[in-house]
Amino acid sequence: MPQTMTEENKWDLLDSSNEAREKIWSKSRTFAGDVWFRFHRKPTAIAGFAIIIALILFAGIGPFFTPYDYAVQDLAMVNIPPVMKVYEGPSGEYLYITQSLKVVSVGQDGKLGKQLDKLRSEDAKSMTIFESDGSEVALYYGGNPYVMADESTGTIYPSKYVFNASYVLGTDSLGRDILTRLMYGTRVSLLVAFVAALVNMLIGIIYGGISGYAGGTVDAVMMRIVDVISTIPLTLYVILIMVLMGSGLQSIIVALGSVYWVDMARVVRGQVLSLKQQEFVVAAKTIGSSTKTILIQHLIPNAMGSILVTVTMLIPSAIFMEAFLGYLGIGLQPPLASLGTMCNDATANLRSSPHELFIPALVICIIMFAFNFVGDGLRDALDPKLKK
Amino acid sequence: MLKFIIKRLGMMLLAMFMIILLTFTIMHAIPGGPFTSDKKVSVEVEQALNEKYNLDKPLYVQFFSYLNGVLHGDFGPSYKYTGKSVNDFISNGFPVSARLGGITIVFVLLAAIPMGIIAAVKNGRWQDMGVMAIATIGVTIPSFVIASVLIYLFAYKLNWLPTYGIDTWQGYILPVVALGGYSVSYLARLMRSSLLEVMGQDYIRTARAKGLTEFGVITKHALRNALVPVVTVLGPTVAGLLTGSFVIEKIFAIPGLGVHFVNSVSQRDYTTIMGVTIFYAAFLMAMVLLVDVFYCLIDPRIKFDS
Repeated sequence: MPQTMTEENKWDLLDSSNEAREKIWSKSRTFAGDVWFRFHRKPTAIAGFAIIIALILFAGIGPFFTPYDYAVQDLAMVNIPPVMKVYEGPSGEYLYITQSLKVVSVGQDGKLGKQLDKLRSEDAKSMTIFESDGSEVALYYGGNPYVMADESTGTIYPSKYVFNASYVLGTDSLGRDILTRLMYGTRVSLLVAFVAALVNMLIGIIYGGISGYAGGTVDAVMMRIVDVISTIPLTLYVILIMVLMGSGLQSIIVALGSVYWVDMARVVRGQVLSLKQQEFVVAAKTIGSSTKTILIQHLIPNAMGSILVTVTMLIPSAIFMEAFLGYLGIGLQPPLASLGTMCNDATANLRSSPHELFIPALVICIIMFAFNFVGDGLRDALDPKLKK
Repeated sequence: MLKFIIKRLGMMLLAMFMIILLTFTIMHAIPGGPFTSDKKVSVEVEQALNEKYNLDKPLYVQFFSYLNGVLHGDFGPSYKYTGKSVNDFISNGFPVSARLGGITIVFVLLAAIPMGIIAAVKNGRWQDMGVMAIATIGVTIPSFVIASVLIYLFAYKLNWLPTYGIDTWQGYILPVVALGGYSVSYLARLMRSSLLEVMGQDYIRTARAKGLTEFGVITKHALRNALVPVVTVLGPTVAGLLTGSFVIEKIFAIPGLGVHFVNSVSQRDYTTIMGVTIFYAAFLMAMVLLVDVFYCLIDPRIKFDS
């Protein structure tokens, strides 16, 4: 019930004019409002949307809050896991054995401190002696795993697991903070996906729009070209472009931006073909609108629903392809990181430090999930006819 | 039927020509010749090399001589490995890749179709939820992640399966699962939705009304029509499996064609890149055409000329 009605006397006779009878009392929803109404009732779509926003924030402003740089290497701190096994030394300070057999002191809060000074080697006992807060501690490397022990008695110090407070997600094989690299990697992956999707959308709209609107021979020729292109395996084509342009962010964007437009062109053409028969286009023609106006003002906005759905489905494929290229080692050049190259760098020491691979892999999966959910939700919201 | 095949073949030839032209142009657009390297070679040697590989002729002559070679099944010599031809790479690598791909496609079909049937028959129950959960996760995880997780679990932690190589049958398990993971998920979802749609049709009710068992209804009547969409996507699936094997072959150190291709890309071995690309493209197109013809044969509702 509209607000104005309740304020008046309910028992008054209504105005019986024609306008009052024809008036639409409920607020009319805009197209965007309508889409949002259908979209926000799907919990998976909303969850995906929230995750994407969170990831954009993480990648966009996250780097301002991290004390580390994505490219600076710290070879003393390589392959440190997010959860460290530490030994409680005689002075009460925690000791962590790095992969390069150095010993680092760890605070009670899990913050990594300084590297301990090496006093001497006791090769006969398979021990290296370090100085910890005035007392001597020994690193025993005779067994596996290596342990911290007291030199004279040989008793192993009590061990426990603490969270790494200095590097929340650990470090990679060159001692770079994984969390920081993850921010930059997510940034690159999202950037590549969005730009590629946008470029594909533009090419597809122009190509499909012209083809569908012109019709006849032009349409036939343009669609045969599309048919031929779509038989070319896209992966091979992308790799060829990467070979031609060399590794780097621009080449990935160009390569991905120029391959996926074929589907988009088909979708736009189909929409334009059916829309251009309708009365409002004929009316626009009658009043003398130019072809450009009809295409941009009337046809494309009406086809926008299907176009947006195709775009959101295209973003995950672009992310997939970027990760694929990065993993093959023909993506970005180091020290730049993308999620795919991070996984590639981590494969070599999968056995000893699995976190280096599983963390970026998890982020890829989360991105894929989020975009797939949003894509499904948008498809149902924008174009209820498409729903199975 | 014949008209359809001829038309598709014509388009394939056109596409092949475009691919050869494209790869040739791209490879010759790259600055620096194939013999530009850190080591300085004398002018005479370079001239002799260029002469040997026809690189001193005009570009169109090179193109037509290359095209002529390709038509005779000769992809030329490798620029990086002296004495090896691109044909050697293909004849060594392709059987390995094809065997892996063949086993994977069998695995995909044997896993995806029953999964889809179970999900559709038990629609809404926990079996359906389980299959759909696996399928949804499966399409969002890249194959190299599946492969790494599998290696970590089954090779490093449990020590059940080898980490690399396909010398034994156990060696095939991890690559096949990792390579087929995406396709299994995708096809299972497709199978489920298509079977659900078919199960709602009138002739299924008729079959039930005449007293067939549920098993008979599904296997004799529903499955035949529900399989049609699955067959449609088989062509792209085969293509995806073959190109997806670049990564899988790299991870599991399988000496297939994909590894040669990736290596030739990183080593800039131009003739090998060209040759393997053209070979892959031709093979994939032939597979897609084969599947399309098969698709028309099993579904009489499809008109060939449309």
